[in-house]
Amino acid sequence: MNISAAVTTPVAIRVHDLHKSFGPIEVLKGVSLEAREGEVISILGSSGSGKSTLLRCINMLEVPNSGTIEVAGEAIRLKTSSDGRSRPADQKQVDRIRSELGMVFQSFNLWSHKTVLENVIEAPVHVLKRPRAEAIEEAEALLAKVGIADKRNHYPSHLSGGQQQRAAIARALAMRPKAMLLDEPTSALDPELVGEVLRVMRGLAEEGRTMLVVTHEMGFARDVSSRVVFVHKGTIEEEGPPHEVFTRSKSERFRQFIKS
Amino acid sequence: MTEPGFLDIISFGPDGWGPALAAGAWMTILIAISGFAIGGLIGTFGAWAKIAGGPVVRACAEAYTTILRGIPDLLVIYLFYFGGSAVVTAVGQLFGAEGFVSFPGFIAGALAVGITSGAQQTEVYRGAFRAVHPGELEAATACGMGRLLKFRRITAPLTLRYALPGLGNVWQVVLKESALVSVTGVVELLRQAQIGAGSTSRPFDFFFIAAMIYLAISTVSGLILQVTERRFQRGVRRG
Repeated sequence: MNISAAVTTPVAIRVHDLHKSFGPIEVLKGVSLEAREGEVISILGSSGSGKSTLLRCINMLEVPNSGTIEVAGEAIRLKTSSDGRSRPADQKQVDRIRSELGMVFQSFNLWSHKTVLENVIEAPVHVLKRPRAEAIEEAEALLAKVGIADKRNHYPSHLSGGQQQRAAIARALAMRPKAMLLDEPTSALDPELVGEVLRVMRGLAEEGRTMLVVTHEMGFARDVSSRVVFVHKGTIEEEGPPHEVFTRSKSERFRQFIKS
Repeated sequence: MTEPGFLDIISFGPDGWGPALAAGAWMTILIAISGFAIGGLIGTFGAWAKIAGGPVVRACAEAYTTILRGIPDLLVIYLFYFGGSAVVTAVGQLFGAEGFVSFPGFIAGALAVGITSGAQQTEVYRGAFRAVHPGELEAATACGMGRLLKFRRITAPLTLRYALPGLGNVWQVVLKESALVSVTGVVELLRQAQIGAGSTSRPFDFFFIAAMIYLAISTVSGLILQVTERRFQRGVRRG
């Protein structure tokens, strides 16, 4: 994406001044981030840096203590409850926004009591109330796209990790999400299975999908993402197009990080 | 009156005890099913209270399971029967009725069995829920499922998968506990056998037949549970 396009493209996700603590530990110390439509943002950082928490705050799997989150221009309304904790003001709004964000987890989290196809159509049919036949048709196309059409009637436990993660990606895509949130999608995979999942993710990027990817895959971050964000100790330490940050980062810590 | 032979006891003929025993068995099944269902409802809320409740709710659930597991089941039935009767009598007196009005034994029995099995089911569901992979529940949240939808489509089936073996045990206990309800005068299988034993000189025959019928009920229900268990085990890796 060139610079002029970036300025005029609508913002898919905007995070402003996000703070999040777990007990006494402040994990996010005022993070701001903007993802325009079609952007692929790789979020890098060592473990404990807060990068996963940042991603999980966007769909309210973690409720931030303060700050704002906007999805497609709509701010998620938060309130402070009587015990001083921050909570969603409108659970229905949160559920709706969650349905517009496709989440992919490190440990796949497919529903083990449902077949691959049932996993993919579950939310479209029951959350979005789409006709079952239509959902099945779309699900089959998605499974073909991620290369596991022949596994549609298998249970997740009979699939390899790579196949499970591709099924999970199909499940997220079936919601026709406005943006995808991928939380270390290849970290739980055996090395020989990482490639097949990365190929699918690369395909999604080429389609112009908006993606926020927490990852340790430097190759993906460098070659596929339009922007790289380096989170360190709860703040964004470095940010920019991959060709810039990987070659001439101003951050000593980031240079250390990519060397290790 | 001539003494019935063993075959007369089980026959459905004019002098046979067959219809009476069948009715008693049916009543036993009804009490057990009602008690188990009430217990299931209580167990679901109890487990929810223990897992997701605040400190007060949790303490109440804890007190409930501790107390109910520490009182003899027979005593719980008495408490419900006489407690219920006292309430009904008091209400009856308000409307001018006189004397002791008894609480329906079936309802007292089913409630008593339900509330004791509810304590057991609370623990079964709680343990089963702990075995569910939290990520699968989080995935349901992440795709925008509301609470009820998530419970119905994801949480309940996954929890049942781990709960069913334990529930099978609870069911067998409930079935046997239903015999205790005979003290309230409800004519279930054991009470019917007692009646038969008392009105003939063949107590052993009656109690033996009752034992066989209990065994038949628990065998058949055991098979049904096995089939159900297998259904809910779909997708579990066997290794």
